[in-house]
Amino acid sequence: MRWFELISRIDRRIIYLLLTIFVILPFFIPLKISQNIMYQTKKLFDFIEDIQPNDKAVIISIDYTPQTQPECHPMALALLKHCFRRHIPVLGVSFDPQGPGLAVEAFAMVANEINREATNHQDSIIYGEDYVYLGWKSGRIAAIIQMGESIKDVFPRDYFRNLIDSFPLTQRIRNYKDVAIAIIVAGAAYSDEWVMYAQPRYGIRVGAGVTAVMAPEYYPYLQVGQFSGMLSGMKGAAEYEKLIFDHGYTKVPGKAGTGMDSQSMVHLLIIVFILLGNIGYFFTRRKR
Amino acid sequence: MKRTIPQAICLMIGIVMVVQFFVPHPISLQFNSMILKWVIVLTAFAMVLAIGNLIMHHTAKIEKKREGWYYSLVTLISMVVMAIIGLCLGVESESLFQKIYLNILAPLGSTMFALLAYYMASAAYRAFKARSLEATLLLIAAFVVMIGFMPFGQYLHPKFPAFAEWVMQVPNMASKRGILFGIAFGSIATALKIILGIERSWLGGKE
Repeated sequence: MRWFELISRIDRRIIYLLLTIFVILPFFIPLKISQNIMYQTKKLFDFIEDIQPNDKAVIISIDYTPQTQPECHPMALALLKHCFRRHIPVLGVSFDPQGPGLAVEAFAMVANEINREATNHQDSIIYGEDYVYLGWKSGRIAAIIQMGESIKDVFPRDYFRNLIDSFPLTQRIRNYKDVAIAIIVAGAAYSDEWVMYAQPRYGIRVGAGVTAVMAPEYYPYLQVGQFSGMLSGMKGAAEYEKLIFDHGYTKVPGKAGTGMDSQSMVHLLIIVFILLGNIGYFFTRRKR
Repeated sequence: MKRTIPQAICLMIGIVMVVQFFVPHPISLQFNSMILKWVIVLTAFAMVLAIGNLIMHHTAKIEKKREGWYYSLVTLISMVVMAIIGLCLGVESESLFQKIYLNILAPLGSTMFALLAYYMASAAYRAFKARSLEATLLLIAAFVVMIGFMPFGQYLHPKFPAFAEWVMQVPNMASKRGILFGIAFGSIATALKIILGIERSWLGGKE
């Protein structure tokens, strides 16, 4: 067998083995490659930076599933850290039935992390005062539109069955007029409805955190300003983590940075394999 | 009658909701609010139908001992157990429901999705070949975007990430915008056809 035939017939088990090594290795030997920040990530960060503390709320719609958790969960965590550290109230919602489990974990994780370091009541993150998780609701388009009139009409109780009127935060935040931005962190096209229905009618600003494969779909929304920023894939999450780390909102680097090392290594490996496949294909064709 | 009444309701509600969008009068807004609440409730009923369908499908499979019937049994037991745990013991962050979700369902879902990486790598190696001009252009574009979006990209050339971003913002966006326009016009046409009763497949069945 000639060399070009050899490189065009690499056994798939070798590919799988190398892929496994390239994914795992950066978890033990971090590459620590610095992230260049994309403008859409910076735009979303700057938008949240400009929100006045203890004033308007940020809605974070957690609409991803365990399948897209590695890309989307670090986004949600970084966004929550940023909002909580700046004392921006957060309302959590989900329109994907698998969202609540991950949303509850994200809110609890970030709130606990901040509360461990808190020295007084003002530094702490209190449920009902600083954030409320409203849970999942069916009929997402109707719910998104109706929340513009009254959040309480759509979510009379939170995810834990408490009346939302019993919380100081939801007594104050009544509809989209009291919301600075809705950020949809999703593994599917959930942000479209916010742009199509909630934004034209109520003028709410929309941001998004989407998986890398979905990101190209949303560039038109970004260009015309229908999105006030976007985090695309694990790279977007790693960039946001870097921004909040550099600005001193967290002392612990996030997981997306490590994930980016693995992802970059795997991308490199795939590029090498594609090149090998094409070189093999080119020489085999020439021989024929 | 079975088709005429739903069509009449569709025509009436369709036209009223379109007109309502442009009328900011309190009565119009109240009507809109009421319809939206109905939609939320009706959609919740779809979930009841889905659960019923799931139970019927898997029960029949278990009764007839069809291939893989034990998976159906696992599905039904899991659904009932999770529902009972969630309803009786709560869904708080420290609850049993949450522990099962995070430690069983989430890793299973992530594992299934992670397997895709292996198939994608193998498929890219075997199928992503520069067989024609179009395939070569696709290959080059993919390389530019992949390398440009990797943190390594900036070390190859400082302007590589900016070039990858340009590929996304200009050629990609132009094509995406074209597709979006197509989808928007198609959606308007389909909506009009449904409202006016030209498109009736949504009614299902036969006359």
